[in-house]
Amino acid sequence: MKILIVDDFSTMRRIIKNLLRDLGFTNTEEADDGTTALPMLQSGKYDLLITDWNMPGMQGIDLLKAVRADDKLATLPVLMVTAEQKREQIIEAAQAGVNGYIVKPFTAQTLKEKMDKIFERVGA
Amino acid sequence: MSEAIEKRIVDEENVARVRDLLQCMERGDEEGAREIVDELANVRETTLYQEVGKLTRELHDAISAFGMDDRIANLAEHDIPDARERLNYVIAKTDEAANRTLTAIEESLPLCEKLESESGDLHARWQQFRRKELNIDDFRELSRSLEAFLAEQHQNAGQVRAHLTDALMAQDFQDLTGQIIKRVITLVEEVEANLVNLIKVAGLPEREQDGPKEHDLDGPVIPGKETASTVSGQDEVDDLLSSLGF
Repeated sequence: MKILIVDDFSTMRRIIKNLLRDLGFTNTEEADDGTTALPMLQSGKYDLLITDWNMPGMQGIDLLKAVRADDKLATLPVLMVTAEQKREQIIEAAQAGVNGYIVKPFTAQTLKEKMDKIFERVGA
Repeated sequence: MSEAIEKRIVDEENVARVRDLLQCMERGDEEGAREIVDELANVRETTLYQEVGKLTRELHDAISAFGMDDRIANLAEHDIPDARERLNYVIAKTDEAANRTLTAIEESLPLCEKLESESGDLHARWQQFRRKELNIDDFRELSRSLEAFLAEQHQNAGQVRAHLTDALMAQDFQDLTGQIIKRVITLVEEVEANLVNLIKVAGLPEREQDGPKEHDLDGPVIPGKETASTVSGQDEVDDLLSSLGF
């Protein structure tokens, strides 16, 4: 299980990385925005993308749309972890094909629940 | 003396002057008549100068009020850039503290994991010994393991304690950043008050405010500042998504 964590704040990447490690996912890599994340996704085999929304360069929503538009990446599960909590934005993410949406600040339990849900669906 | 009384006296004086002028002309006193005409012209000029003087004073007062003893200029030139620097310092300090704390935790976690697994293993072997399931060689091995474990854990506990102290000390930013942010709030309040004054002096009509742009991201929602267009918390996000068939 290889996971890419995308967030412009290194502290948030470290927190997610440590939480994932605690859940048993030790194979993680990091990127600081969509522009650096997309080529990594295209060249490496990832099983899950966890991304923030508001980032300089390419934003999380655009990264999600780019992933869905890419034939090889289209089915990659995407979990959004963001401080944005406008209804219309959550709906926009849902329409763009997000697999889970977590609002910051979040708990380890929420991350676990959403991950379990994503893999339940992927496995089914 | 009130302006009305002053005006009546001036008017009465002028009437008297005009009467004198008429009398001078009737008796053919040209010189006397010219003097009275000059006097009348003089009175007119004096009143004009007084009016101009009054207007000048009013204008001066208005300009002084507009300047607000240079405070606005000072705010723009000095206080606001200063506040920007202070807020950047807050970002740097909180970033540093978060990273220092994360480092302390990341270095402590493997030590805790080691303690967890090794103590579990030793506990199982110790129970085997208590059930008399170990032969003498196994017991010697267990004894050596226990000794090594105790020595190592003594050292590791010291390291964990040092990391925890470091994480504790990393929280000292709160006091400083709290003070800085309080000062910036005071500045923002002053700027607000000055802007309100400026609007009053300039007499700008109130106009309808432009709402936030459609595609601007709002960032974190502050408790108590939720609007109808935002959700408050993960439960509402989940409800919204499940209503969309997620």
